[in-house]
Amino acid sequence: MAPPRAIASPVPDSLYPTLAFLMLAIGLVFTAAFFIHETTSSRRNLSLVKEVTTGAVASVFLGFGSLFLLLSSGVYV
Amino acid sequence: MKMGFRFDLLVLAVALLSTPALSDLVLTRVDRRVDLTSHIVRITSTLKVENTGKDSVSEVLLVFPERQAKNLAYLTALSSTGKGKAKTAAVNLPVKNVNSEGMPPALVAYSVSLPEGGLGKGESFTFDVSVVFTHSLQPFPEKITQADTQLLVFEESAYFLSPYAVKVQSLTVKLPHPRVESYTKLENTKIQGSEIKYGPYENLAPFSYSPIVVHFESNQPFVVARELVREIEVSHWGNVQVTENYDLVHGGSQIKGEFSRLDYQARPHIRGAAAFRNLIAKLPPRAHSVYYRDAIGNISTSHLWGDARKTELEIEPRYPMFGGWRTAFTIGYGLPLQDFLFKSGGKRFLNISFGSPISEIIIDTLIVKVVLPEGSRDISVSTPFPVKQWEETKFSHLDVVGRPVVALEKSKVVPEHDQYFQVYYKFNSISMLREPIMLISGFFFLFVACIVYVHADLSISKSSASYLAKVQWEEVQSVIQQVNNLINRCLTVHDKLDASLRDLSRTGDVQACKTARKQADGLLKELSKELKPLLSILQTSPQAVQILPKVEELVVKEKELQDKLMVKHTTVVECYEKKVSGREIENRIASQQNKITALRQEVDDLLDFIDEL
Repeated sequence: MAPPRAIASPVPDSLYPTLAFLMLAIGLVFTAAFFIHETTSSRRNLSLVKEVTTGAVASVFLGFGSLFLLLSSGVYV
Repeated sequence: MKMGFRFDLLVLAVALLSTPALSDLVLTRVDRRVDLTSHIVRITSTLKVENTGKDSVSEVLLVFPERQAKNLAYLTALSSTGKGKAKTAAVNLPVKNVNSEGMPPALVAYSVSLPEGGLGKGESFTFDVSVVFTHSLQPFPEKITQADTQLLVFEESAYFLSPYAVKVQSLTVKLPHPRVESYTKLENTKIQGSEIKYGPYENLAPFSYSPIVVHFESNQPFVVARELVREIEVSHWGNVQVTENYDLVHGGSQIKGEFSRLDYQARPHIRGAAAFRNLIAKLPPRAHSVYYRDAIGNISTSHLWGDARKTELEIEPRYPMFGGWRTAFTIGYGLPLQDFLFKSGGKRFLNISFGSPISEIIIDTLIVKVVLPEGSRDISVSTPFPVKQWEETKFSHLDVVGRPVVALEKSKVVPEHDQYFQVYYKFNSISMLREPIMLISGFFFLFVACIVYVHADLSISKSSASYLAKVQWEEVQSVIQQVNNLINRCLTVHDKLDASLRDLSRTGDVQACKTARKQADGLLKELSKELKPLLSILQTSPQAVQILPKVEELVVKEKELQDKLMVKHTTVVECYEKKVSGREIENRIASQQNKITALRQEVDDLLDFIDEL
């Protein structure tokens, strides 16, 4: 039987704060783009495809960013 | 206490009369050391057993009086093959036999299995037995004042209680101080410093028993935890969090009378010798985020320092602990995951210590709860000693169905139980994505809610004047935005034209310039075609009355700009073909250029104006 290998986290611990900051920043940029598109376009010009994609990309980055934020502040979920 | 003692003796004496010889083993040499330097009693015996019969024997029985066996916490036997320091730990199997044939009822027997083959005829074998007892030191007097020292009574038998005959034996009792109040004086008894030696005694029959009582002084800290709950939470993102909830009591002589803080602080060694002030816990190395708090809040009287092999935490409870006083607190710390979680075969396992990190602590009930991440299956536990086991569920951060918890319970735990145990389980690595996906879907739900809100038409009346006016205004707005878009695209085409001119001045490639101009021409024609229907919509709409002149002006100006740029472009290209010098070109187009820049400025202004609406 092979000797036991140690298991560590898939992302190195020391990177957690950096990743949290970067992902949240990118997520917020996309959120800003989403809301700009929503509020400045008139009703007929709203493109559903553009809205949903911007929202999806923003939520992916915000989701990962908030996960790494929780991990770096010590709440190991 | 003494009455119960005498009663046991009586029962033993009666039982001894009806005991046949148990087997043909003879203990040729027994050396016992009783260590009383701590409140945990440790007895180490070295036994040399010889087989005087014909048959091979595979086990050796060890017996203890029932009263002593009640307090027995840990029993282990090691075989000491090899000379001197080369000891090998033997596989010992103390199996509890409940009253096997011929055993008197007041005794509890444990059997040690001898290594393969057993003991042949005439062979002898040496092994060490370590026994640990809890709560075996009786405080006497039971209540003392703050200024008194603690005196304790320990009872034992000078003769090794065994179902076999013993040829030669000796007993040494080691005390923490040279001061002994009293001790039973049998033959061959002498006291040397802080050790009392009984023996050697020779040729004793099986089940010989000679009670001795030692009354001595000990001010060692009597740390007893009535209950300890250790929760070990594993997170695959890189942390093992250990939280320990202690319910501590000072297990020595109870304090009577009043406690004078002034006396204690002025001369702690004279007024408060029996109390203890701090506890030392040895945590694993690389422990982080250590906290020490109780129901009131954080306790700041603690020190932490660590090196590569351990992290030492020294904690002081809020008050010194005197006999009978209780305190309850919580210690928590985080450990790096890679030191404790391993993968072997298809399973993962957690390898972590079972007991408390506090040194010299007796735990009456220890409950260890291992919380595994959600999605763990096929959980099994392997411990070096028997424990009671059951499963629970815990709801923690981002949990849907709850995390599986394995709870292990053991009573009478001593520091010898602080060994590693393993918890095996299966976990699919993809399940780790469940947490970020939950967060992502939460955020996405918010965005979808925004989209739905913007698209929803919540007006009540669809034919009122204000509603219709709003709809028309929105149409006008969208048309204007599209016009804006188109004008911006025209402007980018102009910029491209300018860029091609600059390229021309750099590279002198006239052909490329011409093709660029053709392209720009085509694009501009398309854009103006698209502009036409939009303008017509604006002209028909009543809401656009104010905007319309400005927009028309914008379109007209843009057209002028276009034309002028084209003219400039063609002149420059012709000049290049005719190889006219740079300054000539400049002169010819100077006036054009001025007009162009002025027009461009006006177009930009108009665009800004329209934007602001």
